[in-house]
Amino acid sequence: MDRLIYTALSGMQSSMAQQRVIASNMANAQTLGFKAELLDQRPVTIKGDSLEVRAMQHAEVRGARMDTGEVVETGQPLDVSIKGDALMAVQAEDGTEAYTRRGDLAIAPTGLLTTGDGHPVIGDGGPITIPLGGKPAIAPDGTVTVTDPTQPDAPAQEVGRIKLAGWQGSPVLKGLDGLFRVEDGGVLPRDEEATLQTGSLEQSNVKPTEVLVEMIDAQRLFAMRTKMISTAREVDESGASLMRMT
Amino acid sequence: MPVSALQVARTGLEAQDARMRVVANNLANVGTTGFKRDRANFATLAYQDARIAGQRSSGETAYATGLNLGTGVAIQSTSQIVTQGALNTTGNALDLALDGEGYFQVQLPGGQLGYTRAGNFTRSAEGQVVTQQGYILQPAITVPEGATAIAVSQDGIVSAQLPGQTEATELGQLQIASFANPAGLRAIGDNFLVETGASGAAQLAPGGENGRGSIRQGMLEASNVNIVEELVDMIETQRAYEINSKMVSAVDEMLRNANQTL
Repeated sequence: MDRLIYTALSGMQSSMAQQRVIASNMANAQTLGFKAELLDQRPVTIKGDSLEVRAMQHAEVRGARMDTGEVVETGQPLDVSIKGDALMAVQAEDGTEAYTRRGDLAIAPTGLLTTGDGHPVIGDGGPITIPLGGKPAIAPDGTVTVTDPTQPDAPAQEVGRIKLAGWQGSPVLKGLDGLFRVEDGGVLPRDEEATLQTGSLEQSNVKPTEVLVEMIDAQRLFAMRTKMISTAREVDESGASLMRMT
Repeated sequence: MPVSALQVARTGLEAQDARMRVVANNLANVGTTGFKRDRANFATLAYQDARIAGQRSSGETAYATGLNLGTGVAIQSTSQIVTQGALNTTGNALDLALDGEGYFQVQLPGGQLGYTRAGNFTRSAEGQVVTQQGYILQPAITVPEGATAIAVSQDGIVSAQLPGQTEATELGQLQIASFANPAGLRAIGDNFLVETGASGAAQLAPGGENGRGSIRQGMLEASNVNIVEELVDMIETQRAYEINSKMVSAVDEMLRNANQTL
């Protein structure tokens, strides 16, 4: 009785996990600022005195593909896309600083400037608040100014500057809320060079054609690994029939 | 595990389906006075962590990263894109268009106030200025019997020539409402919006002041739906739906394969 069947099974499970990651990427092909997730598959062997003959297959999501999605003009004053590869700082549910590429900003009833999925945008002094009734405008360097419509001649007031953080050199991971964080905690420094483009939005970086290919790939690999199990069964059966005395 | 890949693909199908409804509604309202197009917003669903970073992988080592698997996507909200629609001249005295921001305020049945950009008003049997549905414009303006040459200025002062008078008589002034977050208004049908917690309370001011648009008499604002843009969105949605449905059949194929081979 060979243990091949377990090795093949671990492969089947990995293929299924892979298909699930691909499905999740595909489902988010229209989500603003979404970064495709990467599945990392590796053989796992037991170190020891025995011969290393069995490599279990192990798969996990390790990170995301950080290339920029397509930028689409919308003409809305509160839609911003980040040029280059900086990340925009937002406040996560737990109050910590996290990062996103999603730039469809809106003003909450409390006056907080938030992303489309409701996370407050962080400036130098915490979340940025727009005074009630003020008309916000966002400059390319992230500075948010507000003009009071009741005083058209008054100069615009600066209410904060959106923090754009560079992450090159510090590994970022996607957390369970879909936001990016520094791998071992901490915050990223502001990238003074990073700029925003208002009136446009960055789309998801999932490429449907790539996804289709990956999908077929995972599907066929799963079939091969299934085949492996049925082959293992045949091998076992022939071994068993050899052992029969009658 | 196998079921979840199917479920993830299903969320994609549902989200695209909802987006198609938004596009269809925009296209259907291409001829609606004062209509503002909606944009569908998607958000990733929660992630499940099969393993948290820092968990023990052995006696001496810990996993450096967690294993997070996305559970798909959901349509999160629709937001109104409040760009100006084109102004078309009609020549009717009580057709009013807003050139710029703001809303006309009307009294809905049931006492609630409604807000609209559709300014095709008429005169009711009692002489009040009302919408096509008969809802009274607020603040109420009454046009007496036999009044001629009704004029509405850019800041909303309504005047008319009354029988037996040589001078025009001022009948009242319109107020234009604006909101801290107009995208947060809730559409209730019939071109009307109502305020919500997200939009903030209405602030009234005459037309052309405090950032309000000026009132243009004898014109109507057309829908701001751009047919070409909507058609592109429609094709995009259709293709995304197709790919997600391919995903469902791929997972199905995998499960069938496992069933038949094993």
